[in-house]
Amino acid sequence: MNTFIRKNLTLLITLAVLTALFIAAAQGMEDKDFVITLLRGLSVGSVTFLVASGFSLIFGLLDVLNLAHGTLFMIGAYIGWTVYVRPDTFVDLLTPLALTLSGFALRDVYPLLSPPRLASARMKRILPWALILVSVLLFGVILPRYPIAIWNVENYAQSPVTYAFMTDQGTRLPFPAMTFDKISPILAIVGLLIASLVGTYGLSLFGKDTQHATRWSWKSFIGFALLLIIALIGFLFNNALTQFLANLNSNWLFFIAVVVAVSSGAGLGALMEATLIRPLYSRPIYQLMLTLGLSAIGIEMVRAIWGRPEFVMPKPAFFDGAGEACPATTFADWWANHCSTILLLDGRVRVYNEIFIPLVGIVVLIAVWMLLQRTRLGMVIRAGVQDREMVEALGINVRRVFTMVFSLGVGLAALGGILAAPSMGLSNTMGESLFLNALIALAIGGLTNYPGAALGSVLVGLIQQFIIKYGQIGIPIPFTEIIFKPTPPLVPASTVLLMVIILLILPNGLLGKKE
Amino acid sequence: METILDVQNIHTFIGQYHILQGVDVRVPKGSIIALLGRNGAGKTTTLKSILGLTSPREGKVIYEGREIQGMRSFEIASLGIGFVPEHRAIFRDLTVEENLRIAERVKGDYTRKRDFIFDLFPDLKRLITLPGASLSGGQQQMLAIARALVADNHLLLIDEPSEGLAPVIIEHMMKAIQLLSKDSTIVLVEQNFLVASQLAEYYVIIEEGRSVKSGAMKDLVDDKATIHRYLGAA
Repeated sequence: MNTFIRKNLTLLITLAVLTALFIAAAQGMEDKDFVITLLRGLSVGSVTFLVASGFSLIFGLLDVLNLAHGTLFMIGAYIGWTVYVRPDTFVDLLTPLALTLSGFALRDVYPLLSPPRLASARMKRILPWALILVSVLLFGVILPRYPIAIWNVENYAQSPVTYAFMTDQGTRLPFPAMTFDKISPILAIVGLLIASLVGTYGLSLFGKDTQHATRWSWKSFIGFALLLIIALIGFLFNNALTQFLANLNSNWLFFIAVVVAVSSGAGLGALMEATLIRPLYSRPIYQLMLTLGLSAIGIEMVRAIWGRPEFVMPKPAFFDGAGEACPATTFADWWANHCSTILLLDGRVRVYNEIFIPLVGIVVLIAVWMLLQRTRLGMVIRAGVQDREMVEALGINVRRVFTMVFSLGVGLAALGGILAAPSMGLSNTMGESLFLNALIALAIGGLTNYPGAALGSVLVGLIQQFIIKYGQIGIPIPFTEIIFKPTPPLVPASTVLLMVIILLILPNGLLGKKE
Repeated sequence: METILDVQNIHTFIGQYHILQGVDVRVPKGSIIALLGRNGAGKTTTLKSILGLTSPREGKVIYEGREIQGMRSFEIASLGIGFVPEHRAIFRDLTVEENLRIAERVKGDYTRKRDFIFDLFPDLKRLITLPGASLSGGQQQMLAIARALVADNHLLLIDEPSEGLAPVIIEHMMKAIQLLSKDSTIVLVEQNFLVASQLAEYYVIIEEGRSVKSGAMKDLVDDKATIHRYLGAA
């Protein structure tokens, strides 16, 4: 035990100072303010943690600094919002999306097809490009003609802002039924399927050096079959599905929105790693440029699709009760009425923002911790963080693990996005500030340390919220009459200051390992 | 004699450096063969080229009758090749048990091989819950070899097993390697000629990225001129 203390003396002193600061900060305010500030800090910390932990997992194993992580957080929010507020758009998208992705599900099968016999080497070089061009053309012809019910960014009455507002008021605008008037449905579906198969086959022809006699099995076709089934269901039962979702109560719809947002994030992550990041593993600078570029593209796409104005995401009914009995005074009380707020030590606490989000944060923290510590995948990840080559030399397909981790990391960011949406609202910039928070949290906690990510995130959340609160009530400076009120610019500055101080004392962050 | 591994004239580049410029290694099944040579001659790169960690650009690597050059490392390893790298590469954050479990290729490998491994290295048994980082150099070396034994490997590539170890531990290690060679074929890279000459039946000398001489170890031991010329030691 003594050696433990001696080894970690700096860390322990730092933690003690932080705790003392925290207690001092708590002394300066009333109980109700303290409760609210603490919970808000934990809430911001939780969302930050969802982004930071995914980023740190990816960086730890893959050595990729995914600068698009904040944007993916935002995209998760927008996708979840779409499912929640415009389920008809989501249902309409199912078929074309599933068809487009179906080709990727066959990536294990393509290498087994004998390559086309072509006379010249030049033809061989041109073929993949030609296939991709055909595919892009097909997509370009079909997709714009495919009927997808969507809002209209240009027209305020039909903009996301209006839809969000109407849903919040409980009066949904009616959803139009799907009609194929620009293209025949059979042509559209077959065309999309062909476009996907041709395009992904073209992609698979790149960089294929040696043929290995791995065999296909029925497993290689599961994903493909599943996507086809989704596409067919989305097509055949379009209106019924839309009606079903529209009539669902908001809690279930919110749950579906979360599931869709997280799985889209995970899928997007897997796709990003497999197609864009993988060729650049040996070129870190290019990775930075790529992910930075993707981030910019992502933001512009969100602007083009959902528009620039900010809008809200209504909270599910479970957390949005109002009326006589609200705010609730006890949890039993709250459970009966599902009030949007609850009184804790006389402070009005918003249940969704300040209790639900931190709870989810804790659940995810534990779940991912269990994944890392208790499963074989987790063991491989922990080993891979230290020595990828050795893991591969043991006969483990590290590349597949890379894809899984990237997918997991982006999925976590998307979860953060959809969770934060009802409390923060949706905006084009929601990813940037949060991503900055997450980076600072990781620098504080230790870049690739999982508990460090949690600790750093909570510290960042707490500091920001306490500074905001003290901006309202002021800090009396001892031995003087002056009351110091931190101004808003001090909020981000304070976290950066904390980071600088901690990095000066502990260059690897609080829990980071010495290199 | 049956050949388990046949490395034919491989050329390997690391970045733009032409590290291996024609290495041939023929490994008879069931034997121990030592790759000898000075520091930087390309011995480790040869092992890594066999395993595909640095893929050879030219030449062939034939393992159990099958060309494996250009395959991904994990596929090559899955064919039954175990690797004990230089500096051991123990996973520091994993416990000793996890270090062994991670090497499972089929579920249950570890449970099946556990007794055999702990008979070979009794020390590891009492360290089982400790993180890899807390092991001494000798213990790490044992763990690294043990890790290569968890899966059913027919060929073991062992890089510098005696490096930095105390003489007593080297002796223990040598006994273990001899015992292992009853069931599997071993390719050994060894700087310490005394160790190599006691363990191996065959040798290949690598000099500046080329295999320059090979044969039976018992002939080399008496060939002081060759030893002096290529290995520098007496």
